Amino acid sequence: LTERLVGQPLLRREDERILRGRTRYLDDIDPPGAAHVAFVRSPFARARIGGIDVPEGLEDVLAVITAADLEGRAGDLPVQGFEGGEVSAEGHPVLARDEVRYAGQPVAAVLAGSRAAAEDAAELIEVDYEPLDPVLEAHASEVTMSRWHKLSGDVDGAFESAAHVVRASHALPRLAPVPMEPRGAIASYDEADDLLTVRVSAQDSHRQLAGLAKVLDRPEESIHVIVPDVGGAFGSKGAPAPETMLVAAAALSAGRPVKWAEDREENFVASYQGRGMEADVELALDATGTILALRARIQADLGGYLMPTTAIPAHTTAMLMCGVYDIRAADVELVGRRTNKVPTGPYRGAGRPEAAYFLETTVDVAARELGIDALELRRRNLIREFPYETALGWTYDSGDYARCLDLAEELVRPERHSNDARIVGSGFGMYVERAGGMFESAEAELLPDGTLLVRSGSSPHGQGHDTTFAQLAADRMGVGLEDVKLRFGDSKEVPRGVGTFASRSVAMGGSAVVQAIDALKEKCAALAAGRTMSLCELAEAEPGLSASARFESDLVFSSGAYGAVVEIERATGRLRVLRLVAVDDAGTIVNPLLAEGQVVGGSAQGLGQCLVEEAVYDEEGNPTFASFVGYSLLTAAEMPPVETAFVESPSPLNPLGAKGIGEGGAIGTPAAVANAVADALGGARVDPPFTDAKLWRALREAHP
Amino acid sequence: VKPVPFDYRAPGSLDATLPLLGLDSAVLAGGQSLVPLLNLRLARPELVVDVNGVPELDYIRADDGALRIGALTRQVALERSELVQRGWPLLYKAVGFVGHPQIRSRGTVGGSVAHADPAAELPAALIALGARFHLRSSDGARALEASEFFLGPLHTAREPSELLVEIEVPQQPEGAGSGFAEHARTHGDFATAGAAAVVAPGHAGIALLGAGPVPVRAEAAERALTGGAAAHEAAALATQDVDDEHRRALCTELARRAIEEALA
Repeated sequence: LTERLVGQPLLRREDERILRGRTRYLDDIDPPGAAHVAFVRSPFARARIGGIDVPEGLEDVLAVITAADLEGRAGDLPVQGFEGGEVSAEGHPVLARDEVRYAGQPVAAVLAGSRAAAEDAAELIEVDYEPLDPVLEAHASEVTMSRWHKLSGDVDGAFESAAHVVRASHALPRLAPVPMEPRGAIASYDEADDLLTVRVSAQDSHRQLAGLAKVLDRPEESIHVIVPDVGGAFGSKGAPAPETMLVAAAALSAGRPVKWAEDREENFVASYQGRGMEADVELALDATGTILALRARIQADLGGYLMPTTAIPAHTTAMLMCGVYDIRAADVELVGRRTNKVPTGPYRGAGRPEAAYFLETTVDVAARELGIDALELRRRNLIREFPYETALGWTYDSGDYARCLDLAEELVRPERHSNDARIVGSGFGMYVERAGGMFESAEAELLPDGTLLVRSGSSPHGQGHDTTFAQLAADRMGVGLEDVKLRFGDSKEVPRGVGTFASRSVAMGGSAVVQAIDALKEKCAALAAGRTMSLCELAEAEPGLSASARFESDLVFSSGAYGAVVEIERATGRLRVLRLVAVDDAGTIVNPLLAEGQVVGGSAQGLGQCLVEEAVYDEEGNPTFASFVGYSLLTAAEMPPVETAFVESPSPLNPLGAKGIGEGGAIGTPAAVANAVADALGGARVDPPFTDAKLWRALREAHP
Repeated sequence: VKPVPFDYRAPGSLDATLPLLGLDSAVLAGGQSLVPLLNLRLARPELVVDVNGVPELDYIRADDGALRIGALTRQVALERSELVQRGWPLLYKAVGFVGHPQIRSRGTVGGSVAHADPAAELPAALIALGARFHLRSSDGARALEASEFFLGPLHTAREPSELLVEIEVPQQPEGAGSGFAEHARTHGDFATAGAAAVVAPGHAGIALLGAGPVPVRAEAAERALTGGAAAHEAAALATQDVDDEHRRALCTELARRAIEEALA
């Protein structure tokens, strides 16, 4: 029997291919004779479109497409709602019709012999804009696009009888996801077979396929979606994009393949962004520090339209507002507003970092006001028994929140001191996050040489599926890692699944893989009928022997406790994160090395949010961040030592006991760092990013 | 991000280069600023004159005690030059703050100077060192002091027909110490602010970057320092005209650090 692979810190076996440059990303695919697309994008945050004038005789131009050309050929993008709430049904148009609602919105598309020629022509297309005053803040908007409200328990009574009421207001700015590879799509149409083939840089093929079928009003069987190697997404390639729809629609009549490879500037202005939420949070506590009730009002800046998944993150935030605490009464309201900015959507964490930040910084305010140690206050209120149904309606499956916090405290070695030059403070942030849910699929096939081919409905873009899924399959089948091959991302080959997002790959996709293997083993046993047969013999006895599984489960809930020690330089306001501790409970860990990689990577993004990242629009609604001059990402030099530890509370909801680990770092880090900053500032609070100027001013006012 | 179509010439000598320069031309050296500007269509020259094939612009040499740097000298060459480290260590210190190694291996000294970003490291260091900037055109040659050369953000006294050919850095006083301090959002990012200082008995050269529309020489601070003022006093004088309070505090701190490093 082979050594057990699950739990081993194996190196990613896909890395050799990636590091040697043997990958094929979307822009590496160059179909001969392709038309290249450049978009005419709105220079205004809000304007009426009077008309569009396309000059005659544009050099090397094959077609110019406007909304008028799409009438009857492409509808608006679909909108995904959430349970118990209201979500506007109006989706994002593929191309703007009579108005634009954000700077960067696609207005027309130019198809030319080269991208350069397409860009040259795009400059010459005259759009008659009548600019209007943009709405740039959620609280200034009069248009509600999503709403959700939940009242549970005697909230008013609790607040009336409370010994302490603590209030805090918070804001998290919008962030750009900035995957290393921008978006892109290539479409071609085979008229004889009536088959539309779309290659798209995406998190999975299934949602792209469903979006294409809906927008183009074509049967799914007539569309073939292929996801090539993908250079990162962080949520931003989950929902189908208007640009992808345009490329597909254009290919149906172009008579040649159509290619759009997004450039960095487009990615900054037109790819949906994360965060962009504000909240007022109130806690009612009794004299001993027990939290009796919570009230929260969340406002989300959703942007000009609802992209398919725009409404989801804020709902996740609302649902998680009770966090890791046993709060029996809660009143949480969410309002998503239309603004004149690019839509928001899921970005690593996708609503969970917001919830952790809103709640955990309020808990620290409460600790300060009540004069109770912040960790002690947490311990008095932690949920300790599972399953636990929250006042807001989700059921946490398992966890050991107290153990996570103990471990974080032990590892972080909190410090608090200052001298003439520097102030050092420490803080903690806890989180619980939804992960998994819905279903995922897999198919396992025994190949003639006795090896396994596993087709998964999940799809990798940096997570390491090829290694972790192989570990699961090989263990289950009792074969070596090298005997398992995986296939992903081709809608005609892999079984219908859901995809890679919401930290769901191992819990859902991995569970489907082991179930498919189990089913295959049963078939093998039946075929062998008591005889001892090798896998090769079995494969020979029944060529193409395969089995599939569709695994379905409720949400699983990962959790964690993060701790940070920070230093603020008095003279300049510069923040340095001296160390970060990440304790995550993602249930059973399949590959501790990759899990740690996910935590560290997520933490880097969480730290980026704390230190430098912010999508800033000027007062006219122009993005001022549309390059790496305006938008900064952390480098290795800013990364503090990150110490990770795992608590493993297996989920009872899947055969692996697994939960999700992809987002914990991005979720736990901002809350912990924010609390450490407030600690250093002697209780003064500022919201991220903690820029030098902000902290310098806060220091001058606080005099800690 | 594709540039507007342009004509391209790559002359092999300075004499062949100069007649090509004019109102609608742009000089391509290391391309670290021009190429992004072209790709973003913010620069739209009709002609790009690539001087990478003009070897006579690429040199570092000492000449009568002065350091002469050909405009096409790569930034990495400053970093690696023993001559520079020995006689003009401020340049060595400053160039390490320019972007990342990949950028410095392509970017040129002349390009950084001619681009005239008010937050760039090399112009400020060169100002503190009292450098002069040599320009050539088909019609002649001239040399300008920093105060004459840097006119505004991305704006210099160079005429469109002129090429920056050389930077001349005078010999520094015996026993001069130097210091460079800078503040950026992240390692290798564009500087928010910074300061360069050269201090010797009876001599001080102090310049700030990110403190105004051009890299500025802090003359009041230089006078105070040669008159015996402490580093923090001189630093405060250096930044008295900086508008924003936080930026002023930042520049003062960086000036203090640069001066103290120079005095150490």
